[in-house]
Amino acid sequence: MTAVALGMATFLLLNLAAGLLRVYRGPSGADRIIAAQLFGTTTVAMLALLATVTAQPGLFDVALVFVLLATVLTVAFVRLPSRSQEREQ
Amino acid sequence: MSFLTGAAALLWVLGGFFFLSGTVGLLRFPDTLSRLHAVTKADNLGLGLILLGVAVHGASVVLAAKLLLIWMLALLAASFSAHLVARSHLRDEASRDG
Amino acid sequence: MAELLGWVFDALLALALLLLAARVVFSPRLFESIVLFIVFGLLMAIAWARLAAPHLALAEAAIGAGITGALLLSTFRELVIGRTPSPEAPRVLVYRWHGLMALLAGGLFAVLGWALLSIDVPTGPVAGEQAMALLARTAVDDAVTAVLLDFRAYDTLLEMGVLLLAVLGARAALGSQGPASSDDLWTDGEGDTPMVGALVGMLSPLIIIMAGYLLWAGAYGPGGAFQAGAVLAALGVLLRLTGRIVPAPRAGVVQRGVLVIGMGVFTLAGLLTLATGRAFLQYPESLAYPMILLIEVALTLSIALPLVLLFSGSAGIAAGRSQHSP
Repeated sequence: MTAVALGMATFLLLNLAAGLLRVYRGPSGADRIIAAQLFGTTTVAMLALLATVTAQPGLFDVALVFVLLATVLTVAFVRLPSRSQEREQ
Repeated sequence: MSFLTGAAALLWVLGGFFFLSGTVGLLRFPDTLSRLHAVTKADNLGLGLILLGVAVHGASVVLAAKLLLIWMLALLAASFSAHLVARSHLRDEASRDG
Repeated sequence: MAELLGWVFDALLALALLLLAARVVFSPRLFESIVLFIVFGLLMAIAWARLAAPHLALAEAAIGAGITGALLLSTFRELVIGRTPSPEAPRVLVYRWHGLMALLAGGLFAVLGWALLSIDVPTGPVAGEQAMALLARTAVDDAVTAVLLDFRAYDTLLEMGVLLLAVLGARAALGSQGPASSDDLWTDGEGDTPMVGALVGMLSPLIIIMAGYLLWAGAYGPGGAFQAGAVLAALGVLLRLTGRIVPAPRAGVVQRGVLVIGMGVFTLAGLLTLATGRAFLQYPESLAYPMILLIEVALTLSIALPLVLLFSGSAGIAAGRSQHSP
């Protein structure tokens, strides 16, 4: 069973790596932050799977913390002024 | 392989499929808002399925409650984030056209 | 099969971390670097999980993904608005003496490696094993918390001093700068959206409960004062970003008290143990658990507030607008 969980975790990691392509391409900051949303959700899933693999229940608490703080990043992003994508080069 | 572990594995694979579709949408959809839609919907469904699989595998009510809490909070965070990002994007579009 | 998959996962993770780090440094787009740095933090938390270090994973989640990301984005915002002179496209600095520096760094690396290899493999009991053997005599069940608050309590006390010094140093560096102007939120002038109010209203109690839970759970699992303090600080960052907290040029008595209460309670506990004839911070057996818990509560507050102050870049914080107002 741990093999299946680890296999899923590896699959999710590859998924995350694929999402990095969007961070590279953009074109706008919003696209990159949307990719960051994907990364956050994937990380929570990976943590849950790893918690079953290694029998570390503390990792569920880590997942909780991630989920609670996920919005902080988005709020910080949307404070950026509207001309941000023209200034970023 | 007992029924529970088989069901868990199936749920995990299903969740992985939704994660994959979310990433495909992120990479292939034509504009920002549709990418936001793909990631927000598909990924959180995938997360729910994976967490459900973990709960089934763990076979504990306390664990299931904790995982349900994680999923609910993830949906909360995703909804707020999607709203804020979409609003910010529309504001950027308006300022560029206007 | 499982072990092979474990190796594959770890190898992919390590590779991803290295590539991300390289891209963070070499990317021509500053915003991309920031987002990738946040991703780096996420993967670091996974790495800590793989290394069976859930305490570090918790800290990484709260600080790396939450606070640092918001800090970098806010700094980026300041650059974009133009309040500070915006740098030209970031490029890799090349020192004039890079050859010599590389040689020295390589030499240091060689010396450290030789020192590491020449350490004899200990045959007697190792400090870690001894600590684990003594764990049953401490008041807490979790090894990390026992080390932080019991075996090496003095170190933790001094670390609190370091944090306090950092805040004082930042205050000194700020000089007499006043608070940021009131237009630093929602610069499009549309004002707040009601969703943000709902978000803050829903998340704040949840985060506080989570911090309390982490503080309590530190006695028998991953958690503890630092993790709880970091989570509270992330809440402070959220409140600052949404205008519920604004920077203030001076810290009131209460805030100054909160800054020092961690060190204060810790030192007081140590002095009390000294006064009753024990060593400094050698807890009496019957009172060890309540003392540790009390110290941890004080530490949590003294960790959260400095982090929030470092984020807001001011000497103190004050209540901002509390509801949607035009």
